[in-house]
Amino acid sequence: MEKENFEKKLKDMTKPEIQGLKHEAMLENAIINAKDKSVVSWWWLSVPVFIILMLMMKSIFMPGTTLISNMHELESNQKYMSLIFFLISPLVLIILNAFSIRKIYFLSGSPKSINFLGTIWANILIIAFSVLILIIYSL
Amino acid sequence: MNFPWFKRIGIFFIPASVAGWIILLAGCVFAVFSFMDIDGRSHSVSDTLMNFVFMLLIIGAVYSLVAYLTSRVWKK
Repeated sequence: MEKENFEKKLKDMTKPEIQGLKHEAMLENAIINAKDKSVVSWWWLSVPVFIILMLMMKSIFMPGTTLISNMHELESNQKYMSLIFFLISPLVLIILNAFSIRKIYFLSGSPKSINFLGTIWANILIIAFSVLILIIYSL
Repeated sequence: MNFPWFKRIGIFFIPASVAGWIILLAGCVFAVFSFMDIDGRSHSVSDTLMNFVFMLLIIGAVYSLVAYLTSRVWKK
């Protein structure tokens, strides 16, 4: 009886039970975090996109003006607002989303498959839109 | 404080606690107040709507940032 107990104890000691891999949980958290970040990024991107659309509409309905000239006018009238929404916000979004992509890429073992792109497509799209906004602002 | 205050469903953060509901309510009240303020100063319906949508997007952006920061349990 005592021997059986000892054997059972020995088995428990030699076979530690691991319910799930820590790495797997980290990857799951990173993906959820990246999706949450992409949602916040969409909201912050929607403001400059809305302004650009309004300025485009203005340039269509007001002859002699262009998107760029309207943008320069906005820049001179609303200096801080344009700086926040057209420079600081896109730069921060690019950095945050790039870090999220990098983290997922390394945690998933540097994959070269299309499935990886399927996971991070929203973050890539946000980076592309942010770059576009920066280009329009810098013209 | 007991986190999380919000949970994400699609592109919206839904309140998951009393604090979350208070933040959402404050956002809605501010949106209504800003609509009335903009409406009082604008000259046409399109003027009101354009300025209000802009304000609504800013409120949504700030709300989503607050919700994101309070929707997870931060590790110490």
